[in-house]
Amino acid sequence: MTQVNQVKLGAKFIADTPHRESHDRCLWAARMRRDSVAQRIPEWEEMRELASQIKKHTLSHLEEYLIVFEERLKENGVHVHWALDAEEHNRIVLDIFQSHGVKVVTKGKSMLMDECGMRPFLAKHGIEVYEADLGERIQQLDDQQPSHIVMPAIHKLRGDVARLFAEKLGSDPDIDDPPYLNSVMRKDMRQHYIKADAGMCGVNFGIAETGGIVVCTNEGNADISANIPPLFVASMGIEKLIPTQSDLALFIRLLSRSALGLDITQYTSHYHGPRKGQEMHLIIVDNGRTSRLGSDYWEVLKCIRCGACMNTCPVFRRTSGLSYDAPYMGPIGIVLEPSYDLDRYARLPYSCTHCGSCGNVCPVKVPIPDLVFYWRDVVVKAGKDQLSHRIQESGMELVLRNATNLSHAEKLGLWALRNLPESLLTSRLNPWAKAHANPVPPKETFREYYARKYKKN
Amino acid sequence: MENKKSSRDIIMDRILMSQPDPVAHPDVPIYGIAGDPVKNFIERLESFDGKALSFRSRREALDWLEQNIDRKAKRVYSSLLDFEGNVSDNDVADPHAAHIVDICVAQGVMGVGEMGSIYVTDESLGLAACALFSTDLYLLLDRSKIVDGMHRAYELLDLRANRYGSFFTGPSATADIEAIHITGAQGEISLTAILYN
Repeated sequence: MTQVNQVKLGAKFIADTPHRESHDRCLWAARMRRDSVAQRIPEWEEMRELASQIKKHTLSHLEEYLIVFEERLKENGVHVHWALDAEEHNRIVLDIFQSHGVKVVTKGKSMLMDECGMRPFLAKHGIEVYEADLGERIQQLDDQQPSHIVMPAIHKLRGDVARLFAEKLGSDPDIDDPPYLNSVMRKDMRQHYIKADAGMCGVNFGIAETGGIVVCTNEGNADISANIPPLFVASMGIEKLIPTQSDLALFIRLLSRSALGLDITQYTSHYHGPRKGQEMHLIIVDNGRTSRLGSDYWEVLKCIRCGACMNTCPVFRRTSGLSYDAPYMGPIGIVLEPSYDLDRYARLPYSCTHCGSCGNVCPVKVPIPDLVFYWRDVVVKAGKDQLSHRIQESGMELVLRNATNLSHAEKLGLWALRNLPESLLTSRLNPWAKAHANPVPPKETFREYYARKYKKN
Repeated sequence: MENKKSSRDIIMDRILMSQPDPVAHPDVPIYGIAGDPVKNFIERLESFDGKALSFRSRREALDWLEQNIDRKAKRVYSSLLDFEGNVSDNDVADPHAAHIVDICVAQGVMGVGEMGSIYVTDESLGLAACALFSTDLYLLLDRSKIVDGMHRAYELLDLRANRYGSFFTGPSATADIEAIHITGAQGEISLTAILYN
């Protein structure tokens, strides 16, 4: 399997100035809104720590909480299924649908169902799944993966959506006004909602104590999908569990503020069983999560999928989520995807400037910056790193080994800056020069200056 | 076949083998929210493009609805016993049919000042589909049922008592195109809280 080259894929987006600038602006605005709502809450930092502790507590007692959860779900009349991997998950969904003669499905957002590649699988079996979230629907119509976990089409401009909707939904190609495009979506989805045989969605939180699931959305699409058809199927990863209803308050207070800088999602919905005349199924999925649980990077399982790390990441904001070519992108993606497929995603941990911002905004304190180093270590030890990185790293290792080496390197650098032709210094061998001018060479190194000024033999 | 372990048991076994060292559950305070809950509620709801109307009594609130909801021109579903709609439960026996509803009037169970949210349930909505498919949603709410914040709300609610319970906060919205905020996505296009008492 070829490695995903995020640098190369991202370069295309960087070169596309209008898209890059809009993307960067939208995400940075979300980050700034996040800061301003967080700063209104005196206990914000305390809440992050508590939320992290609750997640750690739950993950370290996961078996007992899952047992309680399952028991309560069944009491509530929910059919509970367990899936070891993506394949089993998809098979369970198909079995449920086939035994109910399901043809048309409307679906709210679910990262897990994307992770499992469920939609293409169901399509092969003749089941039409309509993504009901606007961003997800845009991406479905364009046959692309979501580029952000809460704003799936944020890398697109309104003109792109207008062209897409004109082609696929027959709207006016000359109107790119977002409210118009939204109304096209609303009208189009209504015809699917009223025909839907089943509704699906993902899960933000499972509550062990009550045997319920919590789904947080803005558009109402997940609630419609769950409340209208006679069959409702939801999927959740084992790590989405929290112990009690009162624990939920913290997470609801953190989630949307971290994601979009809004106090709460428009719909924060709790499902504790099927409505009258309905059947409700919940598929609880492992798909690699138990192996993460037993690893040094288990804290990655605390993630509540808010996307705050993406909004703040200087690499992500300029390269967009598609350049990661993976279900999970941005900072959380580069520390999560290698655990799914180290060969394919070995380069992702290098798409990081080590600014540490993701770690500072994460509402549950996933130590993303540390995990980036962890994964680089794994990549190097597995011999899957790039030759260029290896040369750079051995070079740095040599230079920084002791003061003498560093002092020689400084002199060499200064000499090169003074004497080598510009064309050589800015050649392809020095990728730094792509976006940086070389400095004017100083008269002396800092070390020489310091010795002259302060060290009188 | 009897020997074959279920996926459930395999997952449980894997978890038992890999669970990290136990971490204690922290004590979580019930953080209070500064300010008057009702005032906060109205301010936050408006920030989510919801509207709030205040009446001295439920009777006055219902009178206002009588005067302002046009049953001749609109299809109205009401879950209230003291306000009549013109869409019957029978009309929407299959929830798919709820797409005909223009206006939905229902009862709110609790308000949250911190968020401007109104908690509704399948019971208080009558049929959730009617609220979600409506264009204009009116939720009655007893002012005394507004609590300061989310911690208090979850202390008081019994989530398990209802199959569907949701905090509605302003009408449905999206910002999926260039992060431009648009009110009225897939669910209701307007949401009005009718406060009384």
